[in-house]
Amino acid sequence: MELAQQLVNGLTLGSLYALIAVGYTVVYGIIQLINFAHGEIFMVGAFGALSTALLFFRSYVDEGQVLPFWALPVLILGAVAASVAIAVLMERIAYRPLRNAPRLAPLITAIGISVFLQEAVRLLYGKIPGFPDAKQKVPFPKIAVVSGDAWTPFGLTIQRSTIFTVGALVICAAGLFYFVSRTKTGRAMQAVSQDPDTARLMGINVDRIIVVAFVIGATLAAIAGIAQGLQVTNVNFKMGFLAGLKAFTAAVLGGIGNVWGAVLGGLTLGIVEALAIGFIPGTFGGSSWKDVWAFAILILVLVFRPQGLLGAKVVDRA
Amino acid sequence: MSTNTALPDVLDDSDVSRRDRLREQHGAKAPLLALAGGVLLLVSGLLSWSYDDRILGDISIRFYPAGIQIYAMVLGLVAVVLGVLLRRRPGWLNPGRGLAAVGWGSLVFVVVALVTIARQAGGSININEGGWVALVGALLVFAAGFVAQRFELNVRTWPRLPGWAEILVIVVLMAVLLFTTAYTLGLDDSWTFVCLLVTLLSVAIALVGSGFGEYVGFVGGNNRRVLLLAAFLVAFLFPFTQDGSDANMSIATQILIFAATALGLNIVVGLAGLLDLGYIAFLGTGAYVGAMLSQSTFATIGWKPPFLVVMLCGMAVASTFGLIIGSPTLRVSGDYLAIVTLGFGEIFRLAMFNLDGTNGPDLTNGPNGIPAIPDLNFFGWDFGKVHTVAGIPLGRFSNYYFLLLLLIAFVILVFSRLNDSRIGRGWVAIREDERAAEAMGVNVFGLKLLAFAIGAALAGLAGTIKAHQDTSVTPDQYIFLESAFLLAAVVLGGMGTVAGVLVGATILKLLPEKLRDAADYRLLLFGLLLVIMMRFRPEGLVASKRRQLEFHEDDEELVQLAQTEHLEEAK
Repeated sequence: MELAQQLVNGLTLGSLYALIAVGYTVVYGIIQLINFAHGEIFMVGAFGALSTALLFFRSYVDEGQVLPFWALPVLILGAVAASVAIAVLMERIAYRPLRNAPRLAPLITAIGISVFLQEAVRLLYGKIPGFPDAKQKVPFPKIAVVSGDAWTPFGLTIQRSTIFTVGALVICAAGLFYFVSRTKTGRAMQAVSQDPDTARLMGINVDRIIVVAFVIGATLAAIAGIAQGLQVTNVNFKMGFLAGLKAFTAAVLGGIGNVWGAVLGGLTLGIVEALAIGFIPGTFGGSSWKDVWAFAILILVLVFRPQGLLGAKVVDRA
Repeated sequence: MSTNTALPDVLDDSDVSRRDRLREQHGAKAPLLALAGGVLLLVSGLLSWSYDDRILGDISIRFYPAGIQIYAMVLGLVAVVLGVLLRRRPGWLNPGRGLAAVGWGSLVFVVVALVTIARQAGGSININEGGWVALVGALLVFAAGFVAQRFELNVRTWPRLPGWAEILVIVVLMAVLLFTTAYTLGLDDSWTFVCLLVTLLSVAIALVGSGFGEYVGFVGGNNRRVLLLAAFLVAFLFPFTQDGSDANMSIATQILIFAATALGLNIVVGLAGLLDLGYIAFLGTGAYVGAMLSQSTFATIGWKPPFLVVMLCGMAVASTFGLIIGSPTLRVSGDYLAIVTLGFGEIFRLAMFNLDGTNGPDLTNGPNGIPAIPDLNFFGWDFGKVHTVAGIPLGRFSNYYFLLLLLIAFVILVFSRLNDSRIGRGWVAIREDERAAEAMGVNVFGLKLLAFAIGAALAGLAGTIKAHQDTSVTPDQYIFLESAFLLAAVVLGGMGTVAGVLVGATILKLLPEKLRDAADYRLLLFGLLLVIMMRFRPEGLVASKRRQLEFHEDDEELVQLAQTEHLEEAK
């Protein structure tokens, strides 16, 4: 029973990692860029959802009531809009001019963007009239059906937010599968990731495909942001850093550049982390060491299988 | 790609030609404009700028220049000198570019000053005639810089001075440097500091842009030993200008620790091209080793060796960690290294946070860290006491300052010897093209690992001193942001150069200390700065020619400059 419970916890955590990891892997697959600021896109998504709730469901929030279920799609739309807007701006202003620069340049830019976005939310979010100060944790609104009492089938505890997170991952993965393999843009994306120059010769607008990659990553990250908000019932400006780092670990674990690898890697990482919390005996167990185990896994993967679980691509000096 | 880039090129061309035409038509007026503007700026220094004597120092008295009035006069003087030079056209100078920098600088400076006066005194009515005269002067100099002709620089016709005169140039330069540093550190008012910064920056850019910088470089190259000696002498004399005050010395020691660590990182990032995002962990390793082996009653290990042994231990432990992290990741792509080192930095912090006895063995006292680390004591020289040398009292931080100066000299020595050696050339080869380097027989993996281990060891060494200087070690000193700051110092100053990193470290540590008004927006500006630097000047403020070339491959003038420099090096 203990094992099953930890598996459920791991699955929740893993779905969240997977949703974020897809963003890393899609962008990396196309322009070999580690978009270090992707964790902040996730954070912006969560704040976008919060802002939407404050704008359209103010009366519920002020009275501490639970938002109706139909508010969920609206919140998702708001979150996605915020994330996508920031991601596209970021690509256009900061990354595109550096497309042919040495590899260090975009990575350092990414760190700059990451710090900038965190600080911008911390300092400026509360300055918008009617919005709470974001220097501390901000409570995330509760939504009917997806937040509330946990279900307890067979003695397990399954939070409702778990259902939302896992469900979101399943739907997003299915949608992504359809998009990448069935639509014209998706196939163009595959072509660009295989050989950008040839793809360009075939008439594919590579710049547009790159933007599409950022949009996909931002969309999934925004949904993950809502999932995180529902799970821990608050959001804060720092939430993107560790989540982004873990998601990147997940992407590497699964094989970076491979979308299914990111999903598999995220789930694996989440489950391993949950098992480490539950089953490592002695003083090194428990939640205070879980992050250490996660990074230890990253290093071990790089030693023994640098291409990741599903990565068929040989990892090159990228 | 080519279709995309062709369009802006055409636009750029027409833009450039329009500016060229303007310069041809009005270029002859530039010297006169510069002279007039410069004289106005000089005169404005003697006039009153504000009715209120509490703003920006006291600038309300006539014929008694103080504070920012002196900066205006400095800018005016530089403008006059450049104006005269523009008229006489010596072959080795390009005063036009210098004038442009001074023009921009004086305009920004005067506007900042006037806005500050208007804001703090409540309205532009409080600005006195001096302020307006300065504004007109700045506009004239700006116009002069805009229309001044640019000359082709002939780098081979530098005037040769006798040896003693060249040494004199260096000595004067160093004296100015010492005086300016002491003066800058003495400022308390944020906006005066901004004005000074604008002044210094524009004068520096003007000097470099007009070719003085290369001349100084040329003179310095002729007398490299003298330059090095003078630089260290100036650094050594700095505490004696502080009159026993520890406030600035505390900032200075922080800058030195930061700079020494950033120089170590520069070996890894600047020379070998490996992006390390967890470098602060190595400094932390050194600091924790230093704390655990110190005389502190909270130290968790019973062994208390002399400090020299502690330093060696710190280096050894840090470089061991470097090897452990480096050996798996250096085989794969550079991007992985960045993230793994980031992960390692987090592991380090979490481990130091957790190892408090309840979660694992008690090594670090967890979040409380190891406090009460005693001051160092070298052969009876107690670092905690005030010593009086030549009548000037030197406080606790001055003592650490001297030790850190030794440390940084050692780090610079290691850095420059490695850079000039076969190993350094191997690193550069790897950085530029790893596969080509491997094909040429460079031991890629071994050299990368060496860079990583040396960088870690230097940080560990700095850490052991830092532990004693700070008197306590806690995990929250070693967060990711600190690594980002170190990296920013390297990037901002110029990857792969010593001077650049020193400049970058000084700017990054000094600005937050002096700009208390903007303390909350510090990190926001920091993030923005990284993005802007990467976009517009990725090679850093002080860049080596070779490095500059990597970022601007299509700049033909630069290619030729780099080639001539390369040929001269080979001779």
